[in-house]
Amino acid sequence: MNRTVNVVRMQLINKQTFVWVPLIVLGASFAMSIAIYAVLYNAGIPGPFYGGGSQAPLWVLLFVGVSSLTLTFPFSQAMSVTRREFFFGTMLAAAMCAVILAAVFAIGGMVEDATNGWGINGYFFALDWVVASGPLGAAFFYFVMAMLIFMLGFWSATIYKRFGATLLTTIWVGIGVLMILGFWAIGSFDAWVEMFTWFAELGAVGFAAWGLLLTVVLGGISYLTLRRTVP
Amino acid sequence: MTTATPVIEVKNLTKRYRDTLAVDDVSFTIEKDTIYGLLGRNGAGKTTVMSILTAQNFATSGDVRVFGERPYENARVLERLCFVRESQKYPDDALAKHAFGAARLFFRNWNEELARQLIEDFQLPMKTRIKKMSRGQLSAVGVIIGLAARAEITFFDEPYLGLDAVARQIFYDRLLEDYTEHPRTVILSSHLIDEVANIIERVLVIDRGRIIMNEETDAVRNRAANIVGDANAVDTFVRGREVLHRESLGHVASVTVLGALTAEDRERLAAAGLDVAPVSLQQLIVRTTQHAAARAAASDEGALR
Amino acid sequence: MIEEGRALFLQIAESVEDAIIDGSLAEEAQAPSTNELAAFYRINPATAAKGVAMLADKGVLYKRRGIGMFVAPGARELLLRERRAAFADRFVDPLLAEARKLGLTPDDLAQLVRDRASAPAATTEGNVR
Repeated sequence: MNRTVNVVRMQLINKQTFVWVPLIVLGASFAMSIAIYAVLYNAGIPGPFYGGGSQAPLWVLLFVGVSSLTLTFPFSQAMSVTRREFFFGTMLAAAMCAVILAAVFAIGGMVEDATNGWGINGYFFALDWVVASGPLGAAFFYFVMAMLIFMLGFWSATIYKRFGATLLTTIWVGIGVLMILGFWAIGSFDAWVEMFTWFAELGAVGFAAWGLLLTVVLGGISYLTLRRTVP
Repeated sequence: MTTATPVIEVKNLTKRYRDTLAVDDVSFTIEKDTIYGLLGRNGAGKTTVMSILTAQNFATSGDVRVFGERPYENARVLERLCFVRESQKYPDDALAKHAFGAARLFFRNWNEELARQLIEDFQLPMKTRIKKMSRGQLSAVGVIIGLAARAEITFFDEPYLGLDAVARQIFYDRLLEDYTEHPRTVILSSHLIDEVANIIERVLVIDRGRIIMNEETDAVRNRAANIVGDANAVDTFVRGREVLHRESLGHVASVTVLGALTAEDRERLAAAGLDVAPVSLQQLIVRTTQHAAARAAASDEGALR
Repeated sequence: MIEEGRALFLQIAESVEDAIIDGSLAEEAQAPSTNELAAFYRINPATAAKGVAMLADKGVLYKRRGIGMFVAPGARELLLRERRAAFADRFVDPLLAEARKLGLTPDDLAQLVRDRASAPAATTEGNVR
């Protein structure tokens, strides 16, 4: 069997990281969100209810991305796997995870649409803006978001392993500073309306396309960094 | 007799960290189907050399060829190698069976039967998570992978440090048994020299990044002798010979001298009333290493002046 | 069994020679294989092979293709001759040196040897190695 594909199986040794934690977070945040919506609905508030709960399983992928490197890279070296095989195998595992997540979200969104928010006008999967692009568009959006967040974790872990905590912290602080500068610039040009319009016109699919680009760029940086990393 | 085929060729390998020279212009060849002992003190550079040969670490300069090719990111070469480290990190949730399962996927010569026998020999607990295992059990996992993988070139970097004497003997025995039936190239690094002396065919001694000995074990075995007796008589005898080590207690001196003793020498020694004691491989290598270090320190001092 | 300070392959060869000399390994009998020797002494098979090869070169063993190594006819004689020649170096010289230390003359030595050689069987049995 192809060595790169076997890396997927190696990653899945850590079932807790790749399977259980994401599932538990997904299940728990879903349950909690619906519970809260139910309480509110029964209290007479009509809704519709949107919460941030559906973000949780996505952000978990940050942790999964980090772990996929720190926990498995040294072992992969012991198995005489090349860094390239490890990288692409791990990306494949991430993609599989992202596909499943995207499917869950897309199908969940369709169900929510059909049931009018689980009968309580509460929406977990079907974000208005995303669902506007249809189920396939939504699936693509969630797939890319999942991959992007995974890649952020993986990329951070690679930088950390190769260059250490100081550089990684500096980079993240730098990104934070850039974002703050960006918001300040938008504010000083009073361009908030333009920005939101642009987002709305972009749509979920357009946004996801940019996200995909960012994912590929981070992936490239991670790969190049990994090539000189010692287990 | 057997034509020697080099499987690893190292030329002028150097590894420099910020201010230390971990490997200093090292050159050697590793022949096929031979067991090598890579001996040296802690921090001498053994692990660094092996890491570079398996492309886990990178050379600063120099040329490394394994099976005639550069090993870096070379799956064709790397899949024929196995590097068992002293403290290997395993996936967090892994049980021993996961580690062996992965090994079965990646090492084409993996033998499940042998692995099973070794698990029993080492009494490895199959239900304990690797991260919760004792030092000895953790070492056993590495050793089992190294042996059962039957990789064409297998590196053992003091992986048996956590094993007790009984377990170590099991390792040596199984290694010899399997090596006899399925010859391969093995590079064993150790500082327990006397334990592995009878197993290794060639001795590569590395000290402070430099190779100070690269010989057949048997050739080295009678390389030195311990002359013990009256200090004056001893000093007279060793005049003109290279002395590796000298100890004295009152009138009695014990000198380790380099050079095999001829029959004539033995006559002279007997006549002078001096005793000759054999020098074990470990003693020889320890003394040679210390001697080389002393010489280096002396020449450094000379250079500083 | 295995001594320090001497080449292993020589010691292996010697142990086979010892067996031939004391008769436990007869001429035309099959010699222990390389792997058997290696396993018994817990040494590298290549070292054992070197020892066996040396014996073959010496003419003590010969190879029967496809079967293994066998003790050559006349091997025992050959080895006895060799050992007798070395006997003086290995045993007599140290004996003389030690005797000199203790102030024993060669005549004293000769007498001692004769005495011990004719001693009753009971005392010598304890010295069997």
